[in-house]
Amino acid sequence: MARKISRRSLALYVATHLASGKPQKEIALQLGAYLVSTRRTKELDSIIRDIQFYLADHGHIAGSITSAHELSASTMKAIESFAKDKTGAKHVSFDRSIDESLIGGVKIEIPGYELDSTVARQLTILKTRYKKA
Amino acid sequence: MNFLSNLASATEEPQGDLLSALGIDWQLLILQIVAFLILVWLLGKFVYPWLMKSVDERQKNIEDAAKAAKKAQESAADSEAETADLLKQARKDAAEIVATAKLEASNIATESEARAKSTAEKIVADAHAQIGKDIDKARRELHDETLELIALATEKIVRKKLDTKADAGLIAEALQEAK
Repeated sequence: MARKISRRSLALYVATHLASGKPQKEIALQLGAYLVSTRRTKELDSIIRDIQFYLADHGHIAGSITSAHELSASTMKAIESFAKDKTGAKHVSFDRSIDESLIGGVKIEIPGYELDSTVARQLTILKTRYKKA
Repeated sequence: MNFLSNLASATEEPQGDLLSALGIDWQLLILQIVAFLILVWLLGKFVYPWLMKSVDERQKNIEDAAKAAKKAQESAADSEAETADLLKQARKDAAEIVATAKLEASNIATESEARAKSTAEKIVADAHAQIGKDIDKARRELHDETLELIALATEKIVRKKLDTKADAGLIAEALQEAK
């Protein structure tokens, strides 16, 4: 039976290899296989957070972008530049998703920072901030 | 004429014959005197004391009755005076009671009036406050509904007007502001 590796060691291993440029798919397969074999799949979320933390130490950050419309390349470039400025990271990667209920604008979530400039958010602020009852 | 002749003949006869001539029998006279004295003695012994006693009792009763009548009269007079005093005092007391009752009634009426006025003012103030609250509530509800409508209208307009290009511009503007 394989020796139990701590969550942080696992995260550090994965982050180091990702930062060194190894293929993400291969590393993800290794991690998944290990978690399944050691029946630790429940720790996946925590491990991913730790990986993001260690990647951030290496200048790699991962975030998410939610928008109502498909974003153009120039917009994505501007968002990446914005995220680098905010975090000081060298490399930024995003999970992108479309949510039409946001109406317009964009919601950017990166470690330690969140920007929600969606129209839906503005309308919610309008309704709640100025509500008297 | 017969009388004169009898008188003339009497003057000529002795003294003892005078009584006879007058028709008085001295033996009968003595007997009558004795009988009279016996009668007087009997009356003095038996009748007169009883009679005097009865008279005295009667007199005493009369005097007692007179005294009682006088006493009753005095008592009646006293009673009348006392009654008059009582009536006077009663009238005075009644007047005081009536005056006190009038004063109390006046006080009660004043207090009742003040209480009713206070209650009415409180009711009016409460009604004003409630109306004010209702107005504020209605204003807030109107404000909130207006906000909802504005948000809804804005959402509909923006959904129609905001295309990909405009959205990109909006995002660029937001990024610029957040820097």
